Amino acid sequence: MKKHWLIGGLAGALTLSGLAFVRAQDAQVAANADDPQAYPSGQPIAFPHNQHAGSEPGQNNMDCMFCHFSAERSVDAGIPSVSLCAGCHQVIPGRNNPEEVQKVMQYWNDREPIPWVRIYKISDHAHFPHMRHIAAGFECQECHGEVQTVEVINQRDPVWGGDNMGWCVDCHRREEASTDCSVCHY
Amino acid sequence: MTDGIKRRDFLKVVGAGSAGATLTGCSTEQVERLIPYVVPPEDITPGVATWYTTVCDGCSAQCGMWVRTREGRVVKLEGNPEHPVSGGALCSRGHASLQHLYNPDRYTGPMIREDGELRPATWEEAEDLLAQEIQSAGGNVLFIGGHMGPSMNRLVSDFLGAVGGNRVQYEAISDAPLRAAAQMAFGHDVLPRYDIEHAGFLMSFGDDFIESGASPVAYQRQYARMASADDHGAKGKFVFVGPRLSLTGQNADEWIPIRPGGEAALALGMANVIAAGGGNAGPYASVLAAYDVGTAAQMSGVSESTIRDLADRFVSEGPGLALGPGVGGHHRNATGAHLAALILNAVAGSVGRTVHLEGGPRSASAPYADMEAAIGAMADEQVGVVMVHGTNPAYSLPTVSGFNDAFTSVGFKVSFSSAPDETSAMADLILPDRHFLESWGDSMPMDGVMALRQPVMQAVPYFDSKQAGDVLLSVAARNGANLGAATFYDFLRAQHQASHEPAMGDFESAWRRTLKTGVAMHAGAMETGAAAALRPLDSAITFDAPSFDGDGDFVLLVHPSPRFGAGELSNSPWMLELPDPVSKITWHSWLEMHPHAAEARGIREGDIVTVASDQGSVDVPVWLYPGIREDAVALAMGGGHTDFGRWATGNGVNAMDLLPAVTEQPSGAMVTVATTVTVSPTGERRRLATPEGSDDQHDRPIAPAVALADLGHEDESHEEGGHGELQELQGGGGFLPVPAEGGAPEAFPLEGARYGEYATAHEGPRWAMAIDLDKCTGCSACVTACQAENNVPWVGEEQVLMGREMHWMRIERYYEHVDATEASHLDVRFLPMLCQHCGNAPCEPVCPVFATYHTPEGVNAQVYNRCVGTRYCANNCPYKVRVFNWYRYTDENVPEPMNWQWNPDVTVRTNGVMEKCSFCMQRIREAENQAALEEGRPVRDGEIVPACEQSCPAEAIVFGNVRDPESRVSQVVANERTYRVLDELINTQPAVNYLKKVTFHEVQSGGHE
Amino acid sequence: MATSTATERGALTHPDVEQLSDVNRDVLKILSKPGKGWWILFLIASAGVGMFLGSWAWQVYRGIGVSGLNAPVGWGVYITTFVFWVGIAHSGTLISAILFLFRAPWRQSIYRAAEAMTVFAVMTAGLFPLIHVGRLWHAYWLIPYPNSRFLWPNFKSPLVWDVFAVTTYFTVSAVFFYLGTVPDIAAARDGSKGLRKKLYSVISLGWRGTDRQWHHFGKAYIFLAALATPLVLSVHSVVSWDFAMAIVPGWHATIFAPYFVAGAIFSGVAMVITLTVVMRKVFGLEAYLTTKHYDAMAKLCLLTSLIVLYAYLSEFFMAWYSGEEIERTAFWNRLFGDYWWATWIMLTCNGLVPIMLWFKRIRHSIPALFVISIFINIGMWFERYVIVVTSLHHEFEPWAWGIYRPSLTEMGIMVGSFAWFGFWFLLFTRLLPPVAIAELKEVLPPPMRKRTKEAHS
Repeated sequence: MKKHWLIGGLAGALTLSGLAFVRAQDAQVAANADDPQAYPSGQPIAFPHNQHAGSEPGQNNMDCMFCHFSAERSVDAGIPSVSLCAGCHQVIPGRNNPEEVQKVMQYWNDREPIPWVRIYKISDHAHFPHMRHIAAGFECQECHGEVQTVEVINQRDPVWGGDNMGWCVDCHRREEASTDCSVCHY
Repeated sequence: MTDGIKRRDFLKVVGAGSAGATLTGCSTEQVERLIPYVVPPEDITPGVATWYTTVCDGCSAQCGMWVRTREGRVVKLEGNPEHPVSGGALCSRGHASLQHLYNPDRYTGPMIREDGELRPATWEEAEDLLAQEIQSAGGNVLFIGGHMGPSMNRLVSDFLGAVGGNRVQYEAISDAPLRAAAQMAFGHDVLPRYDIEHAGFLMSFGDDFIESGASPVAYQRQYARMASADDHGAKGKFVFVGPRLSLTGQNADEWIPIRPGGEAALALGMANVIAAGGGNAGPYASVLAAYDVGTAAQMSGVSESTIRDLADRFVSEGPGLALGPGVGGHHRNATGAHLAALILNAVAGSVGRTVHLEGGPRSASAPYADMEAAIGAMADEQVGVVMVHGTNPAYSLPTVSGFNDAFTSVGFKVSFSSAPDETSAMADLILPDRHFLESWGDSMPMDGVMALRQPVMQAVPYFDSKQAGDVLLSVAARNGANLGAATFYDFLRAQHQASHEPAMGDFESAWRRTLKTGVAMHAGAMETGAAAALRPLDSAITFDAPSFDGDGDFVLLVHPSPRFGAGELSNSPWMLELPDPVSKITWHSWLEMHPHAAEARGIREGDIVTVASDQGSVDVPVWLYPGIREDAVALAMGGGHTDFGRWATGNGVNAMDLLPAVTEQPSGAMVTVATTVTVSPTGERRRLATPEGSDDQHDRPIAPAVALADLGHEDESHEEGGHGELQELQGGGGFLPVPAEGGAPEAFPLEGARYGEYATAHEGPRWAMAIDLDKCTGCSACVTACQAENNVPWVGEEQVLMGREMHWMRIERYYEHVDATEASHLDVRFLPMLCQHCGNAPCEPVCPVFATYHTPEGVNAQVYNRCVGTRYCANNCPYKVRVFNWYRYTDENVPEPMNWQWNPDVTVRTNGVMEKCSFCMQRIREAENQAALEEGRPVRDGEIVPACEQSCPAEAIVFGNVRDPESRVSQVVANERTYRVLDELINTQPAVNYLKKVTFHEVQSGGHE
Repeated sequence: MATSTATERGALTHPDVEQLSDVNRDVLKILSKPGKGWWILFLIASAGVGMFLGSWAWQVYRGIGVSGLNAPVGWGVYITTFVFWVGIAHSGTLISAILFLFRAPWRQSIYRAAEAMTVFAVMTAGLFPLIHVGRLWHAYWLIPYPNSRFLWPNFKSPLVWDVFAVTTYFTVSAVFFYLGTVPDIAAARDGSKGLRKKLYSVISLGWRGTDRQWHHFGKAYIFLAALATPLVLSVHSVVSWDFAMAIVPGWHATIFAPYFVAGAIFSGVAMVITLTVVMRKVFGLEAYLTTKHYDAMAKLCLLTSLIVLYAYLSEFFMAWYSGEEIERTAFWNRLFGDYWWATWIMLTCNGLVPIMLWFKRIRHSIPALFVISIFINIGMWFERYVIVVTSLHHEFEPWAWGIYRPSLTEMGIMVGSFAWFGFWFLLFTRLLPPVAIAELKEVLPPPMRKRTKEAHS
């Protein structure tokens, strides 16, 4: 009778909401990351990764580790120092939008660090040694996406799994790397 | 985790490094900035530690250090293996000096007192002010300084020479009597160098060389080598003579509970016997004649037979080595006691073998008498400007010494103290000095050893400090004096350039080399010369028992604290929460009293009593200690600060309130055993903040021992130590014996150890540890090292009272035989207890979420971010090594900038999370990463060194892969003394192996008395 | 289900109930306007609930440190109270399901209250694992569900078994309870009007008391009873394994499962006595809750108390007999150590006091039973306290021995949990017939006309 589907419906709704809650718990971090509101202010300088690292004609096809210098020898990939930017841009005014390059030189002249906004981050209770992954022959793109092809990076990039353990474990299983918890958590 | 996890948090504080700085763990609500360098320092790679060498200034021993920095921040201090003093180890106080670098109470800049109030000032005006005050003082400058390196020493002299004035060196802990005795006996004004390592029969007449004294780390290393049984079953013997068992005393094989001041008579009595037996008493034959055994026995209260026996063994089991009283034993005739010990050494022919007059420590040994004179001068207003540097007399002098009044009477008072202390509280001008980790300097810990001190990080920006040397130079310049350098750095270089020997190549490269290795050994360093002969006694000296003021029924023994020294480190939470190696009490002060004495007066443990001398009185809780004579009570230095920072101020009592201001004759040292006191209950009680549950093993196989005589016959020694053969729990119940030589490598993992979580992983390393209890002295350096390395928070006194201390490692102390009434053997057991990383870990199956589990490498891992906090694992841990974050200790207890010290490689835990020893997993990973980068070579043995092993001065701890039969740990574990705590009872199969303590007396089965 | 013999027995059961209509009248009267006594109790309970939730909120906000727990005593009052409430829950199912299957005639008038008690007790107990964890917000990790971490809970851990045991028990007993009430709700529906009527009509699931409905009802009821019966044994066994599975001296014992089940029924029946005596007074149910019922319950208490006492003694005996020094120390410390008082309270309340139940006069004196039942409740709470705390505070490593002192917050939550329980129970007595009308009628003599004529002649 009527009551049957009523009760059934209630039960169904209950289960779904329960699952939803749990998933939400898992997805929380990724969600925050995807949320554009999480980054109210954009980057201090409209830095075009594709212009620097892209291989299209007219792009500079630079190696990632030219700027992210410590990726192959440290747990941290490293952020280029202002002096490194200035090194090139003293002579390269910038073809497309020189005003942005001017900002770089401004920081350099003021001897001020550039307050870049962080895009890729994992929780502090997980350790990701960059050099191990580079040494294992991975391309930066496999985690960070085709950075050299995009002008503005955001975490909607499908490759980036966000702060999502399953995404790491998945790859570790595929590559038959250790899935021992204490490899990352200590 | 939702919050609290702030590993690398400090990175955001100054613009350096690209490592992630986060405020709120997972949540990314607010924008996170990446702050790149403007110009990258060439020697820093973000995420990779940079190491510098420098010299510890925690005490006058001056250990060489390696300093680990991350992104420009000091995160850990370690001993410099190339340095002859530290030999790679570091004591607790050394580690804790890091907390004074980040001490939140440091002065934020120079201060000038105006109408009673201190106001911030600029360095310009501060130096101007000092310059003109010195001008107007017209040469009446008094400089009170603590221990300082040769160059600084020279600079101060030059400075005073230029501006006119004189100086006095003052240190609360000083070896003046030993120096005076050496001068009398041999005509050398030096501190003798004891070769403890090669002594066969060591006698300490109250010298606490392990915890305080000339060179704790070096002497402790030597002692451990001497006192531990080697493969041939040889073992040096240590007899402790004194009214109270210090940490050093607790390590002894025999204890002669002599009445305070009786040491000289005993030593001379022994010398007399030896001389009679053919020893060469030299010019002292007549002196010794007066001390026949009978007299000596009567004067010292030690039976004749004991004296004879000791004398015989001092020679037969030699080479003998006798050490005179340490700071904790300085009574009115301390020089006499030291002289008697030296005579004993000489008569027994030890001088030149175990006692050397060359290469001795250059430790503090200035007499307190100079200070007394200075106080007089100040009181008589002969001083215009007084400057205090590197010492805190207002606190560490007896209150009745009159220092405070004299000091305040001086027209202009300057303090170089970098943080508030009792002396700077009275100063008119405060010129905060740099912490030694921020400053240049040098040190000469012993003849022929020169070490450089360099700034290992930029000065902590919160505190606008300036190195005292630079201040002196610029002030001198203001007064038109040129001391030959603009900055102290130049001065330092000039000094070394001047003393540079061309033999060692050009100066620049030698300088660099020294900075790199941290130490320069000059030719002839520490070589042993010929035995010096005794000189006839030329000055008046008495060997009689000293007198004590007052008519109280207890002699008050005031001794330096193993944790605070004389109070310099009282504001370090690490030191405050570190259980005192002797009493195991944290945070507050206590009075040591023998149970019988207390019982006779109806005093129970925890009763707050009034301790009164003619000079004053303090109220302090009683701790009952079987290791102190019934006619003595003991109080440690370091408590009762009145103005020393947020943690120290008002915590505990200051023993100096009870002491009279007496100088020992002839050395002029301050007398610490000077007065008697009365002890009367106040009727109040308190619980003692101690982690100690019981000091008795209750016949459990926890810290067994084996008698030296039983070594060598394994079959017996198995029963002896209660260490049956390893057994494997069977599915159907019952135990199946497993062939394994006392936990030898092949025992890991036991065949068919299918109850271990790592059952499937039989290849790859199996991390394990070996701890030699015959070496361990219970000094607790490992505890602090672990705390520093693993971001272990301190919890505070009231949490310790609730039983919530967080140390990952603790030193358990069990009494087996302690007798304060007569000379007899002594048996106190120390057991460093950390996570045993059991093969069959009881904590693992009970965790509902796999927050704790077994890694394939056999480590019992704890995944903090997975922990829900049921605490089931802690309940089920038979060793009780799991600690819980009851509150957000890491947030609430740690003020800026102390969180700069967090180790970025270790997760900082939030509340509601269980944690424990991880075998320094971060160091294992670091080594593995390194090996992987070097074309995937395997990790070498000895590459992974946990913090505890690294800092152990006794070299008692070894870590490594026990599956590799060549590894050090395998070698050590393959020993008949090896056992594993509680293993034969509950079959936990721990990865931590202990080597039983070796005793000279018989131990019953189970390893007990 | 009623048999002819049942009639006579029933007649003996409730001598003071003249006719069936009295039952409806007396029982449904409870649902009408509450008396003063009810309101007083309800206000007290509400205040207690406030304290309960307040203390818990404070603990979550400040950290689990506001409890007195420490190392080595990681479990204390919270787990004690958890086990206590799980235990309470048992007798309800015992009385309603097992006694039903055994056709015990005296259960009818008390089983409704007992079942309600079960449901609310489990509800209360279920909160305590959540209260005692360090990170409440991650407690859901104990539930197995597919997640993005590729992680499951550790099915080896007794705590995970608890999750299943307690949730299952709650579901089954709740359904059983609800099913049993349906006919009576219908009765209440017919006697009420307005909002209550609407409510009752919905939850009575259109019960009209037709023969067919009775038929189905009977079947379903007996099935559920059969389903609930094994749970009575399983749930508390699982709870006992929280301890028995650990290696802690004093916990690691094979006797625990039966020992806990017996203890649970013991405490549960005692609690039923406590509650029904109050109900009886407040709602004037003297005619329905007669000494016969209390006599039966008292006997049940007596039996279980003997089992429990036996368990205590055998534990001490085994500790001595094992020759295990550590085991011996643990039990010696239990009797004469820091927590000797708790142990002696336990032995007195659970071992000595119930001995009085041998005497018929005491079994038949309601006030005496009430007092004794209170003693038993206290004793059983302390039994769990003794097991949890005294075992933990003196374990293997002498150096790590420690003392545990419950904090105010803990006490607030513990006491508050009684209020929380009472709160629901009081609401129950006002909203659902606290005495099973229908089943009671089954054991009453069928209605017949008064024999007025003969009186005449």
